[in-house]
Amino acid sequence: MNISLTLNGTEVSLECQPFDTLLAVLRRQELISVRYGSDTGETGASAVLVDGRLVNSDCMLAAQADGHEIITVEWFNKAEMHPIQAAFVATGAMQSGYSTPATILGTWALLQQNPNPSEEAIRDMLSGILDRETAYTKPVEAIQRAAAVMRGETTEPFGPLVIPTMTDGRNAVVVDPSDPRPIASAAVPRLVPSKDVPEMAVVGKPEIKVDAIRLVKGNQAFTDDFEERGQLVAKVMRSPHAHANIVDIDDSAAVALPGVHAVLHYKNTPRIKYASGGQSWPNPHPHDQVSFDNKVRHVGDRVAAVAAESLEIANEALRLIDVTYEVLPAIFDELEAMADGAPVLHDEEDTLEIHDREHNIVHHIEAQRGDVEAGFAQSDHVFEHTFRVHQVQPVPIENHISVAWLDSDERMVVRTATQVPFHTRRMLAPLIGMEIKDIRVIKPRIGGGFGAKQEMLIEDIVAHLALETRRPVKLELTREEEFMSSRTRHPQTLTFKTGVDKDGTLVSQQLRLIGNTGPYGTHAYTVQTVSGLRGLTSYNCPNKKFDCDVVYTNIPVPGAYRGYGAPQAEFALEAHMEDIAHELGMDPIEFKRKNWVVVGSELDIAPHLGERSVEEGEMDEYPKVMSSGIEECVAQGKRAIEWHRTTDPAWVSPPDRPHIRRGLGFAFCMHGTAIPYLDMGGCSIKINDDGSFNMLIGATDLGTGADTVIGQIAAEVLGVALDDIKVYSSDTDVTPFDTGAYASSTTYISGTAAMLAAKKVRERIKERAAKMLGVEIPCTIELRDKRAWAPDGSSVSLEELALEAFHLEDHEQIMGTASYVSPECPPPFAAQFAEIEVDIETGQITVTKLVMAVDCGVAINPVTASGQVEGGMIQALGYAHCEEYAFDDDGRMVNAQLGPYKIYRADEMPETEVYLVQTMEDSGPFGAKAVAEIPKDGVAPAIRNAILHATGMRMNNLPFTPERVFDALNQ
Amino acid sequence: MPSVLAYYRPRTLDEASALLAEPNRRAIGGGTIVVPDSRVHREHGVELVDLQGLGLDTVAIDGSDVRVGAMVRLSDIADDERMPAVLRELAQRELPSALRNQATVGGTVALADPESVFLAGLLAYGATVHMHHDDPTALKQLLGEGLGQQVITAVSFDSRGDPAWAATGRTPKDTPIVAAIALRRDGAQTVALTGVATTPVLVDPDDPTADLDPPSDFRGSGEYRRHLAALLTQRALEGINQ
Repeated sequence: MNISLTLNGTEVSLECQPFDTLLAVLRRQELISVRYGSDTGETGASAVLVDGRLVNSDCMLAAQADGHEIITVEWFNKAEMHPIQAAFVATGAMQSGYSTPATILGTWALLQQNPNPSEEAIRDMLSGILDRETAYTKPVEAIQRAAAVMRGETTEPFGPLVIPTMTDGRNAVVVDPSDPRPIASAAVPRLVPSKDVPEMAVVGKPEIKVDAIRLVKGNQAFTDDFEERGQLVAKVMRSPHAHANIVDIDDSAAVALPGVHAVLHYKNTPRIKYASGGQSWPNPHPHDQVSFDNKVRHVGDRVAAVAAESLEIANEALRLIDVTYEVLPAIFDELEAMADGAPVLHDEEDTLEIHDREHNIVHHIEAQRGDVEAGFAQSDHVFEHTFRVHQVQPVPIENHISVAWLDSDERMVVRTATQVPFHTRRMLAPLIGMEIKDIRVIKPRIGGGFGAKQEMLIEDIVAHLALETRRPVKLELTREEEFMSSRTRHPQTLTFKTGVDKDGTLVSQQLRLIGNTGPYGTHAYTVQTVSGLRGLTSYNCPNKKFDCDVVYTNIPVPGAYRGYGAPQAEFALEAHMEDIAHELGMDPIEFKRKNWVVVGSELDIAPHLGERSVEEGEMDEYPKVMSSGIEECVAQGKRAIEWHRTTDPAWVSPPDRPHIRRGLGFAFCMHGTAIPYLDMGGCSIKINDDGSFNMLIGATDLGTGADTVIGQIAAEVLGVALDDIKVYSSDTDVTPFDTGAYASSTTYISGTAAMLAAKKVRERIKERAAKMLGVEIPCTIELRDKRAWAPDGSSVSLEELALEAFHLEDHEQIMGTASYVSPECPPPFAAQFAEIEVDIETGQITVTKLVMAVDCGVAINPVTASGQVEGGMIQALGYAHCEEYAFDDDGRMVNAQLGPYKIYRADEMPETEVYLVQTMEDSGPFGAKAVAEIPKDGVAPAIRNAILHATGMRMNNLPFTPERVFDALNQ
Repeated sequence: MPSVLAYYRPRTLDEASALLAEPNRRAIGGGTIVVPDSRVHREHGVELVDLQGLGLDTVAIDGSDVRVGAMVRLSDIADDERMPAVLRELAQRELPSALRNQATVGGTVALADPESVFLAGLLAYGATVHMHHDDPTALKQLLGEGLGQQVITAVSFDSRGDPAWAATGRTPKDTPIVAAIALRRDGAQTVALTGVATTPVLVDPDDPTADLDPPSDFRGSGEYRRHLAALLTQRALEGINQ
């Protein structure tokens, strides 16, 4: 059929099919700013303006648009940015930027209606565009600033609010309730500087993201924005059963369907064992997966894949595949799966190194320091509490997507939304029977990952199909598939047992953990190890033990998710410690402070955990905490949340709202920064004719701002502006190796590699400059303002220096390459506070405010760092409060759609405040530690402890949905 | 077989009715539910009849008599200051912004989602549904009997009365697990509930859980929903009096 419409101001006539969505047709017109997030309009990523209204093009037929006016963000794109685009760039309002074009369109439509909208109106507009990254604070700020500019007003530059310290950096203070809180918009990071941190030119500054232009204009950026000639579409047939043998597959009808180019399944695909977790070599055992198995182990598991000329044909082909299943009993609960007689998930002979196959125990992990049993015997009090945490999803708005093709040299190229391009290349090679040298993995921009893309999830499917068809093949998961077949957080049952002496000092602490890894191991060993590490590191204690079983079940597959085992453990730990304090009659913060690690404390369980663990007697010296700003974090957070209200009964039980109880809660948070001796990043820097630099890094910016931050580090070393560092990442043919976006490592590891590479370049520049300026000692040369300066004030520009090097004398390419792996894992610390209301008649919890004060060392970019904290906190809020996988009795997820699976929208957010408390971490680049994951750790326990404060009730299971709370209140 | 086999945009109500009289056809207003359902979840193809060309997108107000065209968007209701404040609020609560700009009043009635707060609001106001080729029918009756393949042309109601509502959800703007919308008009009280039956339902304000057998799902068991039905009815009625 033919439709006529006005498209970005031009009348056009387009051919389409009745089933085509407006999204599909617009993308065929190269309007690639319009992006897929779902089929139901829930994400808003596909939103465009139709007759001036923001509408979703994914749940609208192209035919419905016939006769209407359509505007996409391409309509705004001129050489100069539109004021809305400029405001989004200036405020750091985009992280991955996947849905930013939709947000800009919504903003424009809103401001056409109302040039001075209220924050409520802005948030209502944003309610249609889910953002998993920013927590909406900076987009709201951007829209307010854009509105002001469009009204002809001027705005102040956006940056942090610098506020004075409240402590001496080491000791606690009493917070004066009358001390006024710093006032600024929620988007503004409150920066508490340290006197140990020197003033720098680029580091510590709110530089705009290096990829801002392409993101704010909706330019080519993401995997789906690039299309190969003759590209086929892949679809995956998924299991309707939680556990079944595939007795037979008849693909003859599908193969015969015109337009179908390949159908792959267990009968025609090599059976090569692997583990899909994107991990360093050698990938942890067991290798319990194959590309296509003759057994399915969860609803949504792979059965077959097709490549066809179109999505419609591919879907039809799936319907024509006839599969004969032998349905087996399934098991979903980790405790039941360990019992005698439970169905065995991996009865195949070729999966090796399962700890206890008959009981579905894939791993048993133990670590101990001291003697916990002797410690319990010595303790004055022993407390034991059990917690259950549930299954949630990272929910990147860009679903998993990969395209594979054979290039002109017949090497396999895979462009893919991955956090781990180098691991993917290595892991893919044996599955498709090619050598690593013949595989190239390209990571373009990623529309969010949060760990879900720390996995070789679908790359083998497109590579197999590309080999079979000799054509480019694209596979993009639907939102439903993302829920059913992507990766999730591990459900766990955790029991903490702690011995305490009379004055509240810990004597012995044990964590018994049973982790549920679903049907495949992937990240099972490492995530549970991190749970043990994080659960037993925060507090000093002479006797510690971690005792863990990881169990196979038939739920969708858990894997990596931002926080990586820490959120589960720290929820249980901070709840357990809170309850001990109450039972001892101590103030919870004082009790925790009495025991939490401080500068000089040994990180004593860490060396005994992991694949490279050592026994206690093998340790010469334990690693120690070298920097901590926790006391400043606690002081700033207490003031911000108005902690003094904890003792005000009239505040807790407002007389005019008899069914409401209010509460405040606190959680102490501690995380790690990278994996010592494992996470490695490389960087290569070269100078250009104009004195600018190209920087190649293997690090994978998921939207976090990693490319920007690493560029800032190099710019600081080289004495140039960030704009003079052109960052490219990552491509396994071009960029140096990097383990990927992993374990809060990028700033610390890849940033240090960049610093080292930049120093090499700097040294060579200094040597040349010294010669050009007639200076005898090169190290006296300083680089700043894109010039090399001699002590006498004479200088040469980097452009002059580069031109000389390239074209005039002692010809050379000034360049430097470096890599870095750290022996340290410096912990960031944080104080998380929550303010909540409990409706004691319904059980509904309303979270009214979250405050997080984070010691992440030196925030290389306070705007992107605060964005990490804001976004992480809100993901953590969802974990605590409303997100959950729900299943029917047969293991089918019943809420595999956003909405039923509830993530927070802009119009229902609690108030948030973020404090960045500086400390100087000498092992990090310019003093930096990690920031990306610690915001995931404290929200659940802080809310839980606030519920305890409000009601006296201990909620030990997540999430705190109304009926769960109601039932607990009425027990 | 393609998921959507054909698309029609009739220009007259008679044409629309004739199209929908054929089997395997569905009407679309905004299409936010029917389009993805047709594209993603159907085993067999379907033909869609788009009602946007019928001029059903106007609102007529005569004193307290309000007549809303079936193709009026929920965002138009939310933005229309002439509408009762509670219906504006419920239209806003029904969906996030972009979906609200697409979803229509007629589509909301036709789909009869048991969790639709806007539909419950119309029930509380005693709305009447107007259809081509059929007599106006009380919304309450229509929800009980089902729409069939009729073309909804408008919804009308008397906008007088004092309303209030109460709801419980997982988050502040979540689709409520249960919501109660109460209205007092001319001394009489009505209460409509969501989340307790297969459609929004009117209940006895004095005994709201009589005859209720709420379904269970992961957000709320039947027993919990019964509790909420009684409690939220009480709160909504108290809200009228405040």
